[in-house]
Amino acid sequence: MSHDYKAVQSTPFKKRFDLWLLIGIALYLVGFIAVSFSTQPAGESLHPVQVVIRATGTLAFLLLTFILCIGPLARFTDRFKPFLYNRRHLGVTTFLIALMHAALTIMWYHGFSETNPLVSVFISNPRYDSLSGFPFESLGFVALIILFLMAATSHDFWNANLGPGLWKTLHMGVYFAYAALVLHVALGAIQFNKDPIYVGLLAASAVTVIGLHLISGIAGLRSSHRDGLDGWLKVAAVADMEDARAKIIRPAKGEAIAVFRDGEKISAVSNVCRHQGGPLGEGKIVDGCITCPWHGFQYRMQDGQSPPPFTEKIATYATRIVDGVVYVNPEPNAPGTPQTPSQIGASA
Amino acid sequence: MNKDDFFIGWADTPKVDRRFFLGAGLGLLAGTAATATGIAALQKPAGPGTWNMGEVRDWRGIATAEPYGMLRTLELDGTPRTALLGCQGKCGVSAKIGALAGKPVVVQGSLIQRGRHAMIAVIDGLDWIREDVDGEIGDLAFPTPEPIMNVSLNGEILDTKCWFGAMRPSSGKVHKSCASLCIRSGLPPAFYVEDPKQQSALMVMTSGGYGHNKDLLPYVADPVSITGQVQRFGDLFLLDAPVSAISRL
Repeated sequence: MSHDYKAVQSTPFKKRFDLWLLIGIALYLVGFIAVSFSTQPAGESLHPVQVVIRATGTLAFLLLTFILCIGPLARFTDRFKPFLYNRRHLGVTTFLIALMHAALTIMWYHGFSETNPLVSVFISNPRYDSLSGFPFESLGFVALIILFLMAATSHDFWNANLGPGLWKTLHMGVYFAYAALVLHVALGAIQFNKDPIYVGLLAASAVTVIGLHLISGIAGLRSSHRDGLDGWLKVAAVADMEDARAKIIRPAKGEAIAVFRDGEKISAVSNVCRHQGGPLGEGKIVDGCITCPWHGFQYRMQDGQSPPPFTEKIATYATRIVDGVVYVNPEPNAPGTPQTPSQIGASA
Repeated sequence: MNKDDFFIGWADTPKVDRRFFLGAGLGLLAGTAATATGIAALQKPAGPGTWNMGEVRDWRGIATAEPYGMLRTLELDGTPRTALLGCQGKCGVSAKIGALAGKPVVVQGSLIQRGRHAMIAVIDGLDWIREDVDGEIGDLAFPTPEPIMNVSLNGEILDTKCWFGAMRPSSGKVHKSCASLCIRSGLPPAFYVEDPKQQSALMVMTSGGYGHNKDLLPYVADPVSITGQVQRFGDLFLLDAPVSAISRL
């Protein structure tokens, strides 16, 4: 299955996911605000606006940390695929919470004076030459702009019109935004309250995101392959290829290749889904179609085309089996080009 | 084709995913509650300042514009007390006192108070101060600053309005921009030797008897060292030092 960008599609699972998400957000905000007021000495409590600033700021940071962990976790276990499927909802929600944090902060700390609040964000603290004194607000503002661009372009309309490559590049900016937010917290709130638990939570968040991506990246490199036969790349022994699943091959040039086994047939297509660049090789053959693990987009094995009435196409590759070993030609066919599958048991 | 072990968003959710999602969801909700509780509980108390914004009233006394806008009044506790003056937002009002300086006046505004420290946030517009034609100066005349001692201190420069109760908390890096805006716009700056929330007596900062302004901005809310003279100014303490006597720690 595939679709155009004509409408935002909802599913029962998405609705359940969104309900859980809203419950979680409400639980965090209500819990944070209630505990803030109940634990402060009488008459010395924080101002309600400042409590909400802290509640929304910490929640947005933790949500973004969780979002960035979903991708690598979904590579380790299929059970995280549902979170991956709904990642955009999490992302847009995170932006809205961050926007609330920023709006309250700018109003509260930078408003009520003759200086333009947005100008004040960048000039009130001029110590751009100091690390500990750095105006951390500017880092948060930059991160917010990136999150806004991502939220605003999260709809498939932008994916289709910007093109998957540019869209993906734009959305990779989330890593820059996250780095800016880590510094925003480290040079801001942590400078005000250096409680080891706060420092530890910030460090653990950053280390978890970096660590998961490193481990996931290293695991991906292991599937890179350069050996071959007459310019064809070795994939795996037929006996090692799981039915309805794929092996991912990364040639020296070009996109990664997903080599699928469907019963007694072997076929290869681009590993990159036309929708959002999802890893097709981590998907599965369902109802005779290669199915993307991210959003369920589907392509026919024999020609890389989405089944009618959908029109997406991906590149196909020639395969062959020699002495029980599967090889793939790293030269791609044009997207949607029919390619006869290799038959297990037939002579090469 | 058995699809039970492969999640597809638009298809029925496999049982194994439903079970995992239920467990993970409950775990995440528990973690969310625990994290919110932990982060919130570790926050430092903000200090005891209050601002009764809704209680606007008339305050009678003697006004001055130097070193900052102030009102010396009997209406805080019956003894001659000094209330600093500020606008509703982040600005001072000394320039608007003009010819009424040194005369009995009536000021309209709400009280910001922390311990013995008081500021009157005057109402918006031009009618916040008027001459008190029936008033007398009496014991309310502003005294001449009286030197007490020369000191070298480490601490932090903040604005008085926020510390008195307009903001809670009102110190540190997160409040730096706000304090800078306040001081830039004419609100009296003060020097805090201790942790601001533990300090009971502030020192309003002056230079040669006049108020500071933008000259202090490079040092606001940073750990600094200052060498100057502590002076008694009625019921207030002043710390008189030029900006050249301030260095960042």
